[in-house]
Amino acid sequence: MLDLYLFQLLNGLGLGMIYFLIAVGLTIIFGLLNFVNFAHGAFFLLGAYLCYTAVALTGNFWLALLIAPLAVAALAWVVERLLIKRIYHLPHTFQILVTLGIALIIQEASVLIWGPVGKHIAVPPELRGVLIVGDFIYPYYRLFLIGFAALIGVGLWLLLERTRFGALVRAGSESTETVSLLGTNIFRLFSLTFALGVGLAGVAGVLFAPLRGAQPFVGPEILGIAFVVVVIGGMGSFGGALVGGLLVGVVQSMMTSLWSQGASLMIYGAMAAVILVRPYGLFGRA
Amino acid sequence: MQRRTLLKAGLALGALGSLPFGAYRAFAEQPLTFYGLKSMSGPFASYGKYADMGSRLAIAEHPQLLGRPLKYKVIDTEGNAGKAVRKVQEAIGQDGARFFQGCTLSSSALAVSKEIHKAGGVFMTPVGADEITGKDCNSSTFRWSVPTYGAIRETLVPMIKLLPDAKRWYTITPQYVFGDALLDNARKVFAEKGIEHIGNSYHSLQEQEFSGYLTNAIAAKPDVLVLLNFGSQSSNALRQAVNFGIKERMKVLLVWSAGLDQFQELGSDVLEGVYLGAQYWHQVDTPLNRELVAATRKVYGINPNYPLAADYIGTRVMLEAIVKAGSLDGAAVSQALQDMRFQGPTGEELIRPGDHQVLKDYYLLRGKPQAQMRDEDDLAEVLSAGRSFVEVDHTGCALA
Repeated sequence: MLDLYLFQLLNGLGLGMIYFLIAVGLTIIFGLLNFVNFAHGAFFLLGAYLCYTAVALTGNFWLALLIAPLAVAALAWVVERLLIKRIYHLPHTFQILVTLGIALIIQEASVLIWGPVGKHIAVPPELRGVLIVGDFIYPYYRLFLIGFAALIGVGLWLLLERTRFGALVRAGSESTETVSLLGTNIFRLFSLTFALGVGLAGVAGVLFAPLRGAQPFVGPEILGIAFVVVVIGGMGSFGGALVGGLLVGVVQSMMTSLWSQGASLMIYGAMAAVILVRPYGLFGRA
Repeated sequence: MQRRTLLKAGLALGALGSLPFGAYRAFAEQPLTFYGLKSMSGPFASYGKYADMGSRLAIAEHPQLLGRPLKYKVIDTEGNAGKAVRKVQEAIGQDGARFFQGCTLSSSALAVSKEIHKAGGVFMTPVGADEITGKDCNSSTFRWSVPTYGAIRETLVPMIKLLPDAKRWYTITPQYVFGDALLDNARKVFAEKGIEHIGNSYHSLQEQEFSGYLTNAIAAKPDVLVLLNFGSQSSNALRQAVNFGIKERMKVLLVWSAGLDQFQELGSDVLEGVYLGAQYWHQVDTPLNRELVAATRKVYGINPNYPLAADYIGTRVMLEAIVKAGSLDGAAVSQALQDMRFQGPTGEELIRPGDHQVLKDYYLLRGKPQAQMRDEDDLAEVLSAGRSFVEVDHTGCALA
């Protein structure tokens, strides 16, 4: 029995890294731009569908992993220039309304283009199979996801904390006017940051596709998970997204052995418990 | 009869007789509207799209019904019981709607069934909940698909015969009425056949991440993993099971698959070697199925799948019953449907008068390897077919 809990703990950590990948784009956009992006789940599904098309055309998943997120980021950049930049200064309720509208457009356009039936994307041949250690079995593809999510986490941290771009974005999020006065085109910086956050949703969509396929109505579910992770970790906190993701993954996985029918429910239970103790999340600031 | 009543009746007949010829004609040409309840939007839109295609095929076979032009109107249930009921009430109240076929979700079907019954209409549905022809049955409602008892018996029993050494079985079940009904029936079969049911993992209706449940199943080391969920949950459970290498360690059975459209979505690399229960399969060789496949290919350029076939036959049988009754009276059409024998997609099918359940085959299929597929839809082979239904006395149905 102890073995089972150990397996679930390991599985939960893996799942948590996948959840981190789903949530990190959302938290970057909120933390740096103070913008609530309710279209995050829709950009995720767009990433999954573009991956499907790219794999169908080229037969190469790795090419799809490169192309699809870039395409999603490019679309986000256009949407930001045309629409989003006009509502940064408005209250969050307006931002939610606009991004919900964008989410619905993306969802219904996906149904029109790819049809209402989901699409299957196979695990790349190089990563098929499972790692077996004693009684513990874990798919190579999920191991790859954990490693990839960790790499993305480190890369993002370096980008935001150790580069001029990161310093400017962080400064801009504190005082737009000061950074503008120093000669930086702050709106271009914000466009790039928005495209980066949304592009990460596209990356998550591509990487999740072999596990879940491309489904037109997956957006709200993904948005829900991302928000739970971000709320637990603290809105806008990069480290919080990592810890929140791991916590959600471990709670969900452990609960499948303890009280399986409540596994999904307990994700929200964990969120409620964290909010009760720390209303701004584990790493959030008032 | 009083003299006044006699006079009134005479006047009424006289007035009717004095109507101009054109008025009769206008009445005769007034279209008869048949209503399709389809989830055309929302999370079950993929089902509704094909179900609608099936109904339209059947409607096209009857340009006129009882001398009146036949019109078809879709009510989008949006995969939501509340919205389905409101729209059906509107159709009954405002348009005098009486004949309905469809519904994707059992909850929607159960709710609209009551409304249609109150209005004296007729309703044919393919949904799975046992209650439709069980404790919530009524004289207006008929169901085409096989309920949980038959689905379990026609998959588990032949599979136990095929795999005599598989003695340890594990189940993954969605925790609500449908899942529990499948699980109860499965437990009965396990007990009857001497199978050890070594464990079950319940999951919620929202669950889409199955790695934890699969870890439970792997740890229990069963010979067979039985998935009792359906729709996107079963697709994700199956996809993730294959990802965890479960096919190499145990046999996998999905009791309630959605058929061809789900198989197309999953592809042969996931399906190969997986055992699949199905209400309908386009390759079954029966007279009506040959016709249906040809018509579907001609009109839509595809092979029929389960929602298309289910709503085609449901609509077709209702229209035939209206012709048989020679009347648009709901009670007369219901009466005509009772005990009706007809050629269906699974062979000769019969509507049981005691609970209005259509008696038809359920199939056990097995996913084919890609190398053996003759065309892109040749994704599975039929291993067995058969009929298992609870006796009417045990369904809980008491038709008034």
